[in-house]
Amino acid sequence: MKLNIEGLLVYFPYDYIYPEQYSYMLELKRTLDAKGHGVLEMPSGTGKTISLLSLIVAYQRAYPLEVTKLIYCSRTVPEIEKVVEELRKLMEFFSKETGEKNNFLALALSSRKNLCVHPEVSSLRFGKEVDGKCHSLTASYIRAQRHSNPSLPSCRFYEEFDALGRQVPLPAGVYNLDDLKDYGRRKGWCPYYLARYSILHANIIVYSYHYLLDPKIADLVSKELAKKSVVVFDEAHNIDNVCIDSMSVNITRRTLDRSQANVDTLQNTILKIKETDAAKLKEEYRRLVEGLKEATVARETDIYMSNPVLPDEILQEAVPGSIRTAEHFVGFMKRFLEYLKARLRIHHVVQESAPQFLKDIFEKVCIDRKPLRFCAERLRSLLRTLEITDIADFSAITLISNFATLVSTYSKGFTIIIEPFEDRTPTIANPVLHFSCMDPSIAIKPVFERFQSVIITSGTLSPLDIYPRILDFRPVTTASFTMTLARTCLCPLVVGRGNDQVAMTSKFETREDFAVIRNYGNLLLEMSAIVPDGIVAFFTSYIYMENIVASWYEQGILENVQRNKLIFIETPDAAETSMALEKYQEACENGRGAILLSVARGKVSEGIDFVHHFGRAVIMFGVPYVYTQSRILKARLEYLRDQFQIRENDFLTFDAMRHAAQCVGRAIRGKTDYGLMIFADKRYARADKRGKLPRWIQEHLTDGSLNLTIDETVQLSKHFLRQMAQPFRQEDQLGLSLLTLEQLESEEMLQRIAQIAHQA
Amino acid sequence: MDDQGCPRCKTTKYRNPSLKLMVNVCGHTLCESCVDMLFVRGSGNCVQCDTPLRKSNFRVQLFEDPTVDKEVEIRKKVLKIYNKREFDFSSLREYNDYLEELEEIVYKLTNNIEVERTKRIMEVYQRENRDVIQKNKAKLTHEQEELEELLLLEQQENEQRRLETLQEEQRQLQAKRKSKQALLDELERSHVPATILLAQHKDRATQLETQIEKQKQVVKTTIFSTGIPMGQTVSLQPVVRIMEALYSYQPIDIHTYGPQVPDLDQLGRLGYLNHVRAAQPQDMAGGYSSGLACHRAIQDAFSGLFLPLG
Repeated sequence: MKLNIEGLLVYFPYDYIYPEQYSYMLELKRTLDAKGHGVLEMPSGTGKTISLLSLIVAYQRAYPLEVTKLIYCSRTVPEIEKVVEELRKLMEFFSKETGEKNNFLALALSSRKNLCVHPEVSSLRFGKEVDGKCHSLTASYIRAQRHSNPSLPSCRFYEEFDALGRQVPLPAGVYNLDDLKDYGRRKGWCPYYLARYSILHANIIVYSYHYLLDPKIADLVSKELAKKSVVVFDEAHNIDNVCIDSMSVNITRRTLDRSQANVDTLQNTILKIKETDAAKLKEEYRRLVEGLKEATVARETDIYMSNPVLPDEILQEAVPGSIRTAEHFVGFMKRFLEYLKARLRIHHVVQESAPQFLKDIFEKVCIDRKPLRFCAERLRSLLRTLEITDIADFSAITLISNFATLVSTYSKGFTIIIEPFEDRTPTIANPVLHFSCMDPSIAIKPVFERFQSVIITSGTLSPLDIYPRILDFRPVTTASFTMTLARTCLCPLVVGRGNDQVAMTSKFETREDFAVIRNYGNLLLEMSAIVPDGIVAFFTSYIYMENIVASWYEQGILENVQRNKLIFIETPDAAETSMALEKYQEACENGRGAILLSVARGKVSEGIDFVHHFGRAVIMFGVPYVYTQSRILKARLEYLRDQFQIRENDFLTFDAMRHAAQCVGRAIRGKTDYGLMIFADKRYARADKRGKLPRWIQEHLTDGSLNLTIDETVQLSKHFLRQMAQPFRQEDQLGLSLLTLEQLESEEMLQRIAQIAHQA
Repeated sequence: MDDQGCPRCKTTKYRNPSLKLMVNVCGHTLCESCVDMLFVRGSGNCVQCDTPLRKSNFRVQLFEDPTVDKEVEIRKKVLKIYNKREFDFSSLREYNDYLEELEEIVYKLTNNIEVERTKRIMEVYQRENRDVIQKNKAKLTHEQEELEELLLLEQQENEQRRLETLQEEQRQLQAKRKSKQALLDELERSHVPATILLAQHKDRATQLETQIEKQKQVVKTTIFSTGIPMGQTVSLQPVVRIMEALYSYQPIDIHTYGPQVPDLDQLGRLGYLNHVRAAQPQDMAGGYSSGLACHRAIQDAFSGLFLPLG
């Protein structure tokens, strides 16, 4: 289908289009026209990805000078693959329509573990091992050493790529990870380095968030990407947590021990090099005296994206004299480590700000702020000079040096919490130093500053105004789209009471209450009797689930449930969970259906879709509040209140509701799908909770479906399921929620579409 | 840390959790009871390196590595003498060199390299720079000052926040109590049906809440319009002197190795201008004249191609 979006010719690879997709593209185009950032919410299963791709690709074709590149960030490898497949469809449609040969280069990028074709290296199991091994074969000085000693092992794929791969650009086309590997094998080139090199001139890149948000990785991979790019963060409802995680540092006793070993190795290597090759250290010394001029030039000429771990002050000044020579630097690191060790030897919890920490460290071991600030950069330079082969081994000391740089650079937005033991095991000493970032805007700031348009999109971004506030940017468009439906295929119900009129809630005070647990059990039992196929039930935490399932067992509820359906349980162990999931799906295929008990914020709630018969009902037991006693969370809430005027309760509710919406949204993955959404907690009926659900769920939540008893729920569900079970054909949708081109172009429809976008 | 122990009596922290390790200027460890026993007379020699020690110099070992304890001790001593600040130097480069020198001294003293010579150097330095050392004793470095400021600010903020929340809570409590009382009074006296009164009351309550919220949003100013924080000592750092030679103009001296080129204003008189295109009025607007191009062409033509030898 060829669409006209405000004068832009868009090729859309399907014969039919949803009205909200059209509306979404309109908003997107306006955002791109304004060269600003946007926040767009559209329900899952309504074709967000293809709308995004087809509009931005069309935009790139129409204005090749305005937008040069699309950077599409997703969360997991399967999602990345899905995006590439959609893109392939789009490109094929395009060349079929126009008859032109496609001249776009689109590729996916992932870690070495997913891209390596070296027979030995790729057989390693963990990503870290693969990285380390690859580095030990391909690092520049190792290859230099090989000139004098050809017997050293090498990676022939990398050698081939290095010799030939850069001269000829990757031919235009769409490459997913397997395509890259095939191409690499055919040519004998390393696919990982080929992809990393090719993203510089590719038109479309699809990769994970971390390549852009994690400063350590972004510095390697993404810093040279062009300014005139459009960045899309898909499934971005958790983006603030990703940002925070990428800037936070946790230091345990083991980290310190390992970095102590690292320091010793450094010292020995320095001694050895001093005897054999003193000139090398001298050369480094001379360079440090001159300052980090090269980096400054690069940043000034705007080639690189700025890096939050490498603050601007560092680039303007030379490394301070006290850590200029290698020995002094090692001594400095030793003192720093000993200080941290002494700090970890405590018996009570300490929370302090960065300035307090800096003052204390000056008093105890005479370390100034300035050398600390240069610590990460100085270590990197030393490692390069000493030609250390196995960088992976030095992860501990690199972490420590990053911590040093961060703590001395940012006086706001971070907090230091030292806990002598975990909350669950107060008798076992296991001290941890959390250097936790409280401000997600620090990590994402370079992205907003560098790129022309950043689009944040997901199925659940409500309330829309909170994301710009916590990420500290000013969007030009914020819009929420609803699902236009030919039949109401989702049925949210809030169950507030049991049949005995006892309120149902996962509130802390009534958690252990026998009546509440029994009522939850009854709800599950009743639903298992009337819902065909799969039911997914979410609990607020693993511990809560364990308690409830145990008492259900004692009360005989589980036995009764099992008469109707099989039960599967998610555990913290990934292998066990994927096994349970597989068997659950098998049971669903067999006809009688099954029940999967899982946990909000767990693996199942985030990445797994339960299409059609895999999930006909989702039951959310309780409100999934985050564990509020954690000190890190408390500090963050305080920071949010002071800096962004967001109240604790608002944020906690927002966080709980976005996870609840994620969980219940698992069941509806398209317009032909249908499912019950049961919120089993009376607190969902309150306006402040309900108002934070996405609009597409809120619309179907009428007053009649609030605060129900179990009996009423069963009645409503039966009615809903009977209605939905009627055959549903595409013709029923046509003209209402699915449009052909002619229908789309009618005056009346265009008017309706204009109302779909809900400007926040 | 459990395997740390006294090298003399071999007691470890594991066996005696209350074991206190001490360290002296030489950087060797002894436990408290051994120190008490060996240094009854107040002084003696180190068991491991025979350095004469005083009992009063023993300190509780803070770090696992006793050499770090020793280094910190030495560093503190050295920093008392070498206390120049960044603004005592004219350039950053010199300051960095100074820092390195300082570091070198500490390194040598800690690792017992050329101890005597280093000490002599320190003494000389101390004598030479007595005034500066005295002057800088009371001063904090620029960075420390910044830190102090930040800390003070933080403290103030915390205090203010505490007060605010306290006041806020009280005010809310009072307002709620008042509105409840008002409702009761009205229910008692008024003739309007109770449902309407209740609805009115509810409205008022929500209004009150929104009002409170609005008040919360107002952020109080804590800085003057000049950007200086209120109630804050202002650090008056001297401006760094920049010592540079002033630029002086020297006219360039050009050898063309060819015939003399006539001056620009003479071109017309000598008839050169008759052979070039006259300047258009739109060219002249930008300051162009046909003489410029002509002069340039003559210069090119007259300059010699080869340098004269010798």
